[in-house]
Amino acid sequence: MPSLHELQRRFAAALFDGTDASAAADICARGIDPAAALGIYRRQLHETFRRALALAFPVIERLVGAGFFIKLAREFQAAHPSRCGDLQRIGVPVAAFLRDRFQAGPYAYLADVAALEWAYEESMAAPAAAAFDARELAGIDCAHYAQLRFALHPACRLASSAYPVLQIWHANQPCSPATEVIDLASGATRVVLLRPGERVRFHRLGEAEFALVSSLASNSSLGVALDAALQADAGFDLVPVLRRLVVLGVFTGATLPLDARGAPFSGLAPTAPHI
Amino acid sequence: MQREILQQTRALYPVSLHGVGLSLGSADPLDAVHLRTLSELVGAIEPLFVSEHLAWGSVDGRFMNDLLPLPYTEEALRHTASRVRAVQDALGRELLIENVSSYLEFNASQMTEWEFLAALAAESGCALLLDLNNLYVNSQNHGFDPRHYLSCMPAARVREMHLAGHGVKCIGARQVLIDTHATSVCAAVWELYAAALEHLGPVPTLIEWDADLPSLDVLVAEACKIEQMQRLHRAVAA
Repeated sequence: MPSLHELQRRFAAALFDGTDASAAADICARGIDPAAALGIYRRQLHETFRRALALAFPVIERLVGAGFFIKLAREFQAAHPSRCGDLQRIGVPVAAFLRDRFQAGPYAYLADVAALEWAYEESMAAPAAAAFDARELAGIDCAHYAQLRFALHPACRLASSAYPVLQIWHANQPCSPATEVIDLASGATRVVLLRPGERVRFHRLGEAEFALVSSLASNSSLGVALDAALQADAGFDLVPVLRRLVVLGVFTGATLPLDARGAPFSGLAPTAPHI
Repeated sequence: MQREILQQTRALYPVSLHGVGLSLGSADPLDAVHLRTLSELVGAIEPLFVSEHLAWGSVDGRFMNDLLPLPYTEEALRHTASRVRAVQDALGRELLIENVSSYLEFNASQMTEWEFLAALAAESGCALLLDLNNLYVNSQNHGFDPRHYLSCMPAARVREMHLAGHGVKCIGARQVLIDTHATSVCAAVWELYAAALEHLGPVPTLIEWDADLPSLDVLVAEACKIEQMQRLHRAVAA
């Protein structure tokens, strides 16, 4: 008698790869052709996967059309089958898959749209957390501000693209008008996603602002992040930007290394604690 | 966000956590990350029940995210029972195991589904969640008497019941019933529910309707029917 593992391996091969012969010999379905019985499960396999993808990437589905979305979902599932019991995780490699699938052609923007949709999904699924209160900085000597490291809110995500992907996202919501012409060359997108309550909010960022938050998100110190922002814009003004980010709820905390003894942070005026 | 909604619900109602992703009957190792996540959720929600399915959904790391039927063999029984025990140990509580709909059977099976389920409860100490629609669907697809299945269930171990609707698919001259959760509970399943109340008592019962949702009043009417039938059962039993 075949082992449990062998029976399951053959069954899965029949569903994924269409190699029915051995699995069909393992099963019976009261007079129904075993291949047809396996076909019920094969359709469920693809349909469940496609539905889960469509739930996470409704804009992609709307952009490419339901028919082509089915084809894309099949290709994606063949290349990236689900690896865990949580179907919500299958979307992780979608943007990279689309980037590879469409390369630099006319549909290259789809990968960035998918990245924005996945950022939205992750923000939505993230736990709630209290936002950072700037008064916590009051006890810190501003000479050490350059070494501050900010913890980003668990629901905070960043997305950027050379294409107007946020405009594309808004134009392809269920309540959006059926047609809106968007010029793909109309400008880049840099956006931070936050979920202050039950809904995800998008906030557009300038190039230097985005460089600052990206750097902080990779656990750089405020000093290093400021350098990144100044590289993008030599006239970057940190204090109002930091104030805006704190008010938006981008951060949940700020920490100073215990051995912080760095040089005074020249980018911050003495009034800086009052952000 | 989903966690907060669940916690708000839990503050108002008892919650029965119903899993679909543990792949309990799979020959693969148990997914430790999935189990840890479930354990954290159980700790945070403190549900009335935690349930999973008598099914498998993955092999060699590839997941089908479906509730696939098991071959009812001695090997599968020993394997599944040890996994149920492992999950119960990890969660520190009893697990309810639910019977699933199936559209084929394995030739290797050495016992019936109801024998397997009862033996699993005896060997692992788990409780049962009896889905009467799944039971009915299988009785039609595989040709057995649903009342006999019901009579073989260890009544003291059934903690919860599910009711749902199903669809019909024609394959050649045969009709196959497909579990859909997309329509109302059929008359035959309601009759089975009345018989189950006799045998198992009025345990908490859920209408599963999660696709092609009807208007709320239709759903509420189905739930009210459960309440009426349970009330009638209690009145007669008193």
